[in-house]
Order: sequence, then structure tokens, then C-alpha cells
Amino acid sequence: MKIITLPKENFAEFVGHLCSFGEIHAPIKRGDRSFVFAPVKDASEIELDCVRTILPLKKYFFRPMEVMFNFCAGEGYEIPSEVTDKRIVVFGAHPCDIHGLNILDMVFNGRYVDTYYLARKSKAAIIGLDCIPDDLCFCRSTRTDFVDTGFDLFLSDIGDKYLVRVGTSLGDDMVRAAESLFYEVQKEDRDAYKRKSIERRESFKTEIQLQDLPGIMDLEYESQVWQDVGETCLSCGTCSMVCPTCYCYSVFDELDLDGSSGRRKRRWDCCLFKDYALVAGGHNFRAKRSSRVKNRYFHKQRGFVSLYGRPSCVGCGRCKAQCPSGIDIVDVITKLRSETRV
Amino acid sequence: MSSKPKIGIYGLTGCAGDQLVILNCEDELLDIVGATDIRSFPMAMSGGDENCPLDIVFIDGTVVQPKDEEMLKRLRERANLLIAVGTCAVWGGVPAMENKFSREEVKKRVYGPTGDLFKTITPQPLSSFVKVDLSISGCPIEKEQLLQAVASLLHGDLPRLPNYAVCTECKMAEYPCLLIEKGHLCLGPITVAGCKARCPSYGRPCIGCRGPVEEANISSEVRLLKEKGFTPSDIQNRLRTFAGAADSLQMESLKEGTNA
Ligand code: SF4
Ligand code: SF4
Ligand code: SF4
Ligand code: SF4
Repeated sequence: MKIITLPKENFAEFVGHLCSFGEIHAPIKRGDRSFVFAPVKDASEIELDCVRTILPLKKYFFRPMEVMFNFCAGEGYEIPSEVTDKRIVVFGAHPCDIHGLNILDMVFNGRYVDTYYLARKSKAAIIGLDCIPDDLCFCRSTRTDFVDTGFDLFLSDIGDKYLVRVGTSLGDDMVRAAESLFYEVQKEDRDAYKRKSIERRESFKTEIQLQDLPGIMDLEYESQVWQDVGETCLSCGTCSMVCPTCYCYSVFDELDLDGSSGRRKRRWDCCLFKDYALVAGGHNFRAKRSSRVKNRYFHKQRGFVSLYGRPSCVGCGRCKAQCPSGIDIVDVITKLRSETRV
Repeated sequence: MSSKPKIGIYGLTGCAGDQLVILNCEDELLDIVGATDIRSFPMAMSGGDENCPLDIVFIDGTVVQPKDEEMLKRLRERANLLIAVGTCAVWGGVPAMENKFSREEVKKRVYGPTGDLFKTITPQPLSSFVKVDLSISGCPIEKEQLLQAVASLLHGDLPRLPNYAVCTECKMAEYPCLLIEKGHLCLGPITVAGCKARCPSYGRPCIGCRGPVEEANISSEVRLLKEKGFTPSDIQNRLRTFAGAADSLQMESLKEGTNA
């Protein structure tokens, strides 16, 4: 992997060059304490210290709501051109964000290919940026605190410079377009990078043992924990909306008044919704909220492991940060393990 | 439906805001008129047919007076499908806000001695009196939901309206959470979506104008609002404003930890 450095005084100029690769999106402030990925004009708008945005990067490639195609009786259907047109450069993706996208790639580019997701994803450049974890981050436990694929460039703060890992040929093109801003790695850069890496590793405050969790979940299938969480949960859907790896969607048609045309749409779905497992004839496989809460955890920490060899949770802490009733995934797992949280 | 469906649009006691939404569908009104046979719409046209059988009747407002009840029952007899339009028709709305007091008391407080001139009964939604085939809530209703409903009905189908909470739309649009960030009394977690979280989009908490979402977890909402320092009466007043008649919002159901 090609590795170079970018002095911080060159950062703004580098961001200026990026617009020739697409519209730049990076974390900006929204509300009192929240951040969102949104279009930026220049580097000064970017919140480099943002720990987590409200929505993860899935919003760019797997839209909250989208028209899959427009249809008209007798004429057939067409896919809106918006799906394939636009190029974007996402700057400031953290390791867990990129792991989240890698997991969505496994799902949407696996047995059943999701062309909408892939069309948008193939038009995007991803530039990663490392971060300092807060109390809610547990990506070290999910092994997503470091990333080595899924980005075009990845910037690590090593003091007055960024160490830049080049992940793809597109990343290399972005560097070449501003070649004079970059430098070869020096000995002091290597030392700084290794020192920072240890500092970052030691700054995690939340750890949880996940390796043996699938077995424990099977053993605790009837645990009182699910009942308790079911009583607290509002089924409000927030945790799934904000989760980088919740990928369920619901497909429906919207009709026009002319009786022959309309649109097929899809929107994010959530297994905590009352009608998620409702089938024709009126039977609901998960009529109780406690069983739906259990499903969300089982899918992330148990089912996904069987299918893909790892949990789909990337430890970003969004579900806890955004849950109106304060349900904390780390607490739930700790209780299931009958352990006390330190 | 082979020939154009016969439609009636009526209002009971209320502000008629939902009928106004229908009239405000300026771009689509001609399509609606073209695709249906509007037999009666007293708010918008005179000379309607008040006796013919109807395929679909849309009704807004609350049953507040004995004559509302009579009219509603008569419309039910005439119509194949009866659609409740607006939070008043679906949940009782603002007229049902003070149902915990007796009618006589409320009348005296609001109208003084002139209150004796008219009769009222306890305000209730349409479903307390007749079978309702479809409910489109909202104060007022969302134009898009109405148009979707009409388009689906023209296809002989019922529309698929959201049955998840306002929070879901709030997060899909990536608005910061007012409950978490500012400690506001937000009813988004228990209110049915469809407004695209309009109030949070302006930095205002949801006041529940669309009525409760199916299986709303009121006890958990009350617990978390109490933790934020709101009193039971703050919470009860807010819950009652639009959907006081909804069973799930009655004080008895606010006991903690009931409906997992
Ligand atoms: S965010 Fe919290 S309350 Fe809402 S559905 Fe998820 S766990 Fe339940
Ligand atoms: S389950 Fe929670 S912590 Fe895990 S990836 Fe999803 S939002 Fe992040
Ligand atoms: S602001 Fe209100 S509607 Fe939006 S997520 Fe928070 S509680 Fe839900
Ligand atoms: S956010 Fe709540 S109060 Fe505001 S329009 Fe929507 S349902 Fe009504």
C-alpha cells in the first residue's frame, strides 16, 4: 500500500482539489450537539472532531426512501436517472463507518445483487479519517476500530501532518491531482503513527466480549432481559434508521389518479415495527415487542455471524446515542452475559 | 369499480380543515373530478344529491351534537366505504380534549348562559358509532396521503399508510432529536408518522397531532418524560390535546411497564 504524508497546512488546498472528483460531503454541525454528512464547499466547514453523525454513510447508497422505477400501463417502466448520475466524494469516514459500508457490500453485492446500491456506491470516493473514541464507541470489541479496505484514501492524524494510506487507484489519482502537497514518509512520521496508534487503542473506555456471544444468545433465548427491554422499547424505529448495517427495506407502489401510472418505491424498514413480521391472513410471527427487540439483537450478533462469519454490529454507538428511551446495546449484552459492567 | 365511483364529502363538528385540504389539491382536483362522480360536497357545492347510494364517503369532524350522530349513521347506510378523514374523525381530536369533564360543565365554562341553546354529547370519533373502513389521520391530513388513498380506492384497494412512529421519519430526515438534545416533551415516539416529522424539522417537538401509532408504548414514554422532569399533568395535557378519546392514551394505561 502506498503511504505518504500531508502536512496539515496543505489540508485545505487538498480538499479544494477534491471537487473535481465529485461533490464533497463531510461532517458538519446540525442542532446543538449533532453532526451530519452534508455537502461542503471548502475545508473550513468540515467538523474534523465529529465522533459520529446522526445517520451513517448508508444514506448515500441505500436511500431512506427512493423511487425504484416509474411505471405506466402499456409503456413499461423506467429507472430514474438520478440513481446513476451523480459523483460524490465522502470525506471523514471513520473506521466503523467504512466497515459498515463493507458489510453492506457483502449483503447488497452478494447472492442477490442490489443494483441501486451498487450504482451509487460505484460513483463515490471514500476518504477515511481516524478518530478518538468517546464513551459510546465499542468498535474495538467488534474489531472495526481499524480498517484496511473499503477506502480510496485514509488519513490518520500524526500531529502536524496526516499519514495518508492510498487504498485504490482512484485514491492515487486524487493524490496525483495535488501531488505537490504530499511528502514521503520520514522516520519521525513512522514513530508518530505507531505512538498515536497505541494512544488510540488505549483510549477506548467501553469494551465487551463478543467472540462467544452467539452461543450465549442461544442459551439465553428465553432470558428475562428481552422482556425488560421490550417493556422499555418504544418501537420508534430510530435504532434501525441510524444503524450503519440495518439494511431492511419495504417495497410498495404509489399510484396516480389516472389509474394506469405510478411509482414503485422502497423505504427503510425496521424489525421493531409492529407489522414487520405480519403476513397475509393476519398472522404476526413477532406480535410482541419483546420478540421484536430480541430479533434485532439476534440478527446483528447471532444470525449474521452464522452467515458471514462476523457480527454485523460495528460498535459505532449510534443506537444508544439516539434511542429516546436510552436502551444501550452494551448494557443489554452485558446483562445477557450476567456480567457487571465496569 | 367499472363506472366512476359515486363520492360524498361531508363534515361533522370541527374546523373543516380536512375538507379544505381536499379543496386545496389544486393541481389534482381536476383529475379527482374526472375520475370520480362527486355527488355531494356541501362545503364546496350546492345542489348535491342527499339520497343516492354512495360508493365512498369521506367524513371529517367529530361527533359532538346529536345531529352529527344522525347524519353519520345515515351516511353509513348510504355508503359502501366510509373513510374517516382527519384526527377529529379518527380519534376525537381537539373537541374531545376535555372529555374528563361533564358536558354541562364544559358548556357553561365556554359559552356561559348561551350554552343552553344547543345540545351536545360527549365528543367521540366516528368509530364509536359506525364501522369505519379506512382512517386517514392528521391535523389536518397530508394531501399526499389523501391522494394516495383516492388512487388506491379507484383501483379497488386500500392505501398503505405509515404505521410507524414520527421518530422514524425524523431520523430518516436526520433531524437532531429534541427529546435527547434539548429535553423537550416530544410525542414523536408514540405518534403515527406521515407528516415527515414536520415539527421537529422546525426545531419544535411533536405535539401528537396525528394521533397514536399502533401499539404506542405510552408507559415507557411517560417514564422517560418523567425522568426529564415533566409532571404527569404536563404529559397528560399534551397527550389529550388531539387524541384524548384514544383508549391507549387514557390515564389508566399510563401505569408503568404494562404492554411489552
Ligand atoms: S431506538 Fe430505542 S426505543 Fe426506539 S426502537 Fe430502538 S431500542 Fe426501541
Ligand atoms: S447495532 Fe448500534 S452500535 Fe452496532 S452498528 Fe448498529 S447502531 Fe452501531
Ligand atoms: S425529536 Fe421527537 S420525533 Fe424526532 S427522534 Fe426525537 S423524540 Fe422522535
Ligand atoms: S410532528 Fe407531530 S405535531 Fe407536528 S405535524 Fe407531525 S404529528 Fe403533528
